Amino acid sequence: MSGPHPTRLEDFDLYALGALDADERVLIEAHVPSCPDCAQKLAEAQGRMAILAFAAPRVEPSPGVKERLMRQLHATAEGSGASAVPRVIPESAAGILGRWWTVLVPVASALALATILLWLHNVQLERQLADSRETLRHQQAQLDEARHMAALLAMRDTIVVQLWEQKTPNTVGARVVYNAREGMMVCDGMLPPAPADKSYQLWLVPMNGAPISAGVFNPKSGQMSHMMMKVPAGLTAKEFAVSLEPAGGMPQPTGPMVLVGPIS
Amino acid sequence: MLVARIVQRDESALAALYDRYAGMLSSVLNRILRDTQAAEEILQDIFYQLWRTASRFDPERGSLPGWLLVIARNRAISRLRRHNPAAGEELLETLVIVPANLENAVAQQQLLSKVKSALESLPKEQRAALELAYFEGLTHSEIAARTGDPLGTVKTRLRTAVETLKRNLQI
Repeated sequence: MSGPHPTRLEDFDLYALGALDADERVLIEAHVPSCPDCAQKLAEAQGRMAILAFAAPRVEPSPGVKERLMRQLHATAEGSGASAVPRVIPESAAGILGRWWTVLVPVASALALATILLWLHNVQLERQLADSRETLRHQQAQLDEARHMAALLAMRDTIVVQLWEQKTPNTVGARVVYNAREGMMVCDGMLPPAPADKSYQLWLVPMNGAPISAGVFNPKSGQMSHMMMKVPAGLTAKEFAVSLEPAGGMPQPTGPMVLVGPIS
Repeated sequence: MLVARIVQRDESALAALYDRYAGMLSSVLNRILRDTQAAEEILQDIFYQLWRTASRFDPERGSLPGWLLVIARNRAISRLRRHNPAAGEELLETLVIVPANLENAVAQQQLLSKVKSALESLPKEQRAALELAYFEGLTHSEIAARTGDPLGTVKTRLRTAVETLKRNLQI
């Protein structure tokens, strides 16, 4: 066994939390692989600390992520099938070589050279293919979003709500497209960057009950923010709002309201 | 069961696991990265990694949602700190035993309420230190440098916060 057992149970929690500095961390990393008891304690600590994830405000991924994932599975399956090219090996090559070596040596050299050239060409093609796949993936993501946006706008029960700036009267700062039945919303807006320790947070305020966080965003200077998000379906919204919150967002609004959009 | 079906290349099993855990993972990824696009890229990569390496995961030895949470946090912190430790592959052998049920949305919602109220019951400084460690991946020394507090104070705060949290959540 390498090194002593950690002295306190909390050492495993602090390791799982990532709070230990390098000198403390190496002691645990040196010891645990050879000690089943401590490996068990570390696994339990990893699980305890993992549930801290539930302190984060709930943010559903956009529907496009799942679609892209499933397409990625198909692309991989098709790619692996296509690469299974059968190889043909001549059966009597040795005999031919014995009698025709004077012909085969230059032919073999030429083949070797051709193989190297083909290999180099193949490497180049693979690089181009990887670049093209990345471009395709990016374009596909944009297409997915455009498709979802079009579908959302085509629904008869979709509403468009303007969010008004609270500091500057009569100025629209963002626009929300919302469909209660599908629980889908899209928000476009132009806001100045949030201070370093703050984030903007979008809220759906239902007719009854507390505001529901629809997502956190940090716009870049001079750029339009665009978010597509899922919220629980079936909620009747009274208004939408954007507040300035501590970085990462809060379970309920605590900061000043920057934009408010009542539903008329 | 679903993991075994993924090993058999059953796409509907991966889709079912995605529906069950994507919201949970998306929340922590967005909280750490504050960047929806980066969070969604990592989310997709995690499930693709699960698809490719499911045969190496042993459900008897640990919790899949716990493992996914550890992977998600690790990847997000790596992205935040701009380094890439082999894209999370090193965690394949990580054993995670979660002391809670994460199998469905209702259980996740209940846990969310419990964790939030447990954190809110902590003194402000302890909660802040815990969040800096978990959501920003800062060590004791880095938290001390960030807040300007003595290193010993930060260590005591975090240790006390962890002890209180475990007691309040009964984990």
